[in-house]
Amino acid sequence: MAVEATANGMGAAPPTAAVDWSRLAARARNARRARATVVYAFLIAASVPIILPYFWLVTVAFSAKLGVAETGVLWRSMLILVPAVIALWLAIALTRNRRQMWIAVAAVAVVTTGLFAWLIGPDLWLGNFMFLWTPDFASVVRSRVGEVKGAVDFPNIWNAFGNSILLAGSQTAIVVAVASLAGYYLSRFQFPGRTAMLRSLLVLHAFPVLTLIVPLFLMLYFIGLLDTLLGVILVLVAFELPFAIFIMKGFFDAVPWDVEMSALTDGASRRQAFLRVVLPQVTNGMLAISVFTFIRGWEEYIFVLTFLVRNTNWTMSLYMFYVRDDLMGVDYGVVSAVGVFYLVPSLLLYLAAQRFLMQMSISGVKG
Amino acid sequence: MPVLASLAHAAAHGSGSMATTAEQAVFERRATRRAVARERMNFLVFLGPAIVLTVLFFIIPVLIDVAVSFTDMGRSLKVTGFTLDQYHKVFAGDRRLPQIIGMTAIYVLGTLSIFNVTFGLILALVTTAISRASGSFFRGVWLLPRMSPSVLYILLWLWVVDPSKMGLLNQILMNGFGVAGPVDLKTQAPVALIIIANGFIGASMGMIIFTSAIRGIPEHLFHAARVDGAGVFAQTWFVTLPALRWPISFVTIYQTLSLLVSFEYILLLTKGGPFYDTTVLALYVYRRAFESGQYGYGAALALFLIVIGVIFALLGWRFFDMQRLLQRPRIEVQ
Repeated sequence: MAVEATANGMGAAPPTAAVDWSRLAARARNARRARATVVYAFLIAASVPIILPYFWLVTVAFSAKLGVAETGVLWRSMLILVPAVIALWLAIALTRNRRQMWIAVAAVAVVTTGLFAWLIGPDLWLGNFMFLWTPDFASVVRSRVGEVKGAVDFPNIWNAFGNSILLAGSQTAIVVAVASLAGYYLSRFQFPGRTAMLRSLLVLHAFPVLTLIVPLFLMLYFIGLLDTLLGVILVLVAFELPFAIFIMKGFFDAVPWDVEMSALTDGASRRQAFLRVVLPQVTNGMLAISVFTFIRGWEEYIFVLTFLVRNTNWTMSLYMFYVRDDLMGVDYGVVSAVGVFYLVPSLLLYLAAQRFLMQMSISGVKG
Repeated sequence: MPVLASLAHAAAHGSGSMATTAEQAVFERRATRRAVARERMNFLVFLGPAIVLTVLFFIIPVLIDVAVSFTDMGRSLKVTGFTLDQYHKVFAGDRRLPQIIGMTAIYVLGTLSIFNVTFGLILALVTTAISRASGSFFRGVWLLPRMSPSVLYILLWLWVVDPSKMGLLNQILMNGFGVAGPVDLKTQAPVALIIIANGFIGASMGMIIFTSAIRGIPEHLFHAARVDGAGVFAQTWFVTLPALRWPISFVTIYQTLSLLVSFEYILLLTKGGPFYDTTVLALYVYRRAFESGQYGYGAALALFLIVIGVIFALLGWRFFDMQRLLQRPRIEVQ
């Protein structure tokens, strides 16, 4: 728009008259500012519906004493948080180098923490996190509102937490190991049926796996793996593999083969070359797949819901689901505290692995 | 290496007699046999685990699905006989199925056209128009739903649309806009609700892919357009969008497939209800099998969905250069 205005201005002016450059520059500047305002207004409006529920979740988890959110606390924390977010954004957008940025961010963080301690501090209430040390927290919550017996028998949260870690962790370990081996072979070796295999991998990647839930249920039942973590782990591994193999193949393709060739001429066998020379070059790919698979395992809901029955086999997702199912409407505070406990590891992993995940999604699109 | 060894051997005994040639032939044959054995071993070591796992938990279930779809297996898991009844039901008998398929079409097309492509594109265009840091900040906000576990994400939605006065939406509507009583979106507008809840997640994938595509457009094209007098909209229309043709069709095909077969968020949010109003085909398979215990019918429906999905995937690949993904390997030394 700014440029258009300039062009029109020049066209309108008679060739002999002097062009008023400063006026044109001012007009262009104003147009640019107006455009930026519209863009930011749109982005802020579009982000509010997303931020608001998360904000609610955290505030309720840390402050609701009577099972419901107290409006005063919500408003006060809003009053701190909104300026804090704007200040944070200004700090990132306006500072010139990394050092200045970190100083500004740290300053904002300190001021915000101070304000929180001053205004919200008295309302801070960690009682909602009692599920961490009271396995039978549901009865405690219910006794507050007069009901005695709940419908769901909750296991210890650390049990569910351990199951989730075990599920996601072993799934990750298997997927990374198997996909690295297969990806390397598909990237470097020629064998009959290689193209067919790659093609079928693509088909399997696009395959609607959720439709296999019925036959898998029957199969696990017949081989006796229903209601065991091992059964779910093996099923999830099989579903993650095609994609993981493809990504690993892409990373292996990118390793220059001169490196490997020189290892071979120095007398290494293919397996030695793979283990000692090529594998260290694709650590980024392995990390990307690990994080991705781990998060998938941590979040998994449908398969664990269908294949796991006993409450000692519950993962965090089932625990969260039943807490919501049982206590929603009774005590929002406890439900959101469990939510925060479940959400934080996921978010931390994403943040830590952002770089690798971006690499993967790009190479995934490119193939 | 085996070739080198036999050459060295030939050189050591190279007196030129017939015996050496015969000996050499034996060595060579042995070396070839050893190479073939090693090749087989490599195949087993590298590809074996992947093949075993895939066959056991991917291929065999498909076969079981086909087999079960020809039986009358019910909740008792007993098979009394083979029958074509399930397929008769899929194509003629089940009067609810047309409604379910219509619902699936509305859900997939609605989510795709409003959020996954259009809104994703708008977000990508807008966040690349501002400074890099601010852009990543807002993209980060829109990635939040994708980063949250599904159970938690839907928990937040259930809160937002809670039909009592405690619901976030009701609080905003009643305090901010003076609406008289609490509204219940779960019964009044369930379809819109599942489309929006899925769209908030779906938009982020388009956003990420379009953003990296826009970043890849050479800056001088924009300069040239601006010199020619193009405004913001003309630049977007004539420079940015043509460069996004490939990413847009990729996102469309990929997301059509994943929307078609996923039902996790719907199951958590509305359980397919009220009644069958928000039950899409994939969820219908699940409900038939695990709610009504009709495993045989569920298997037949699943097969039907698999065929639709695979057709979509194959159609999608016609648009892409799939051969590029299958490039030949570069080293063939054993």
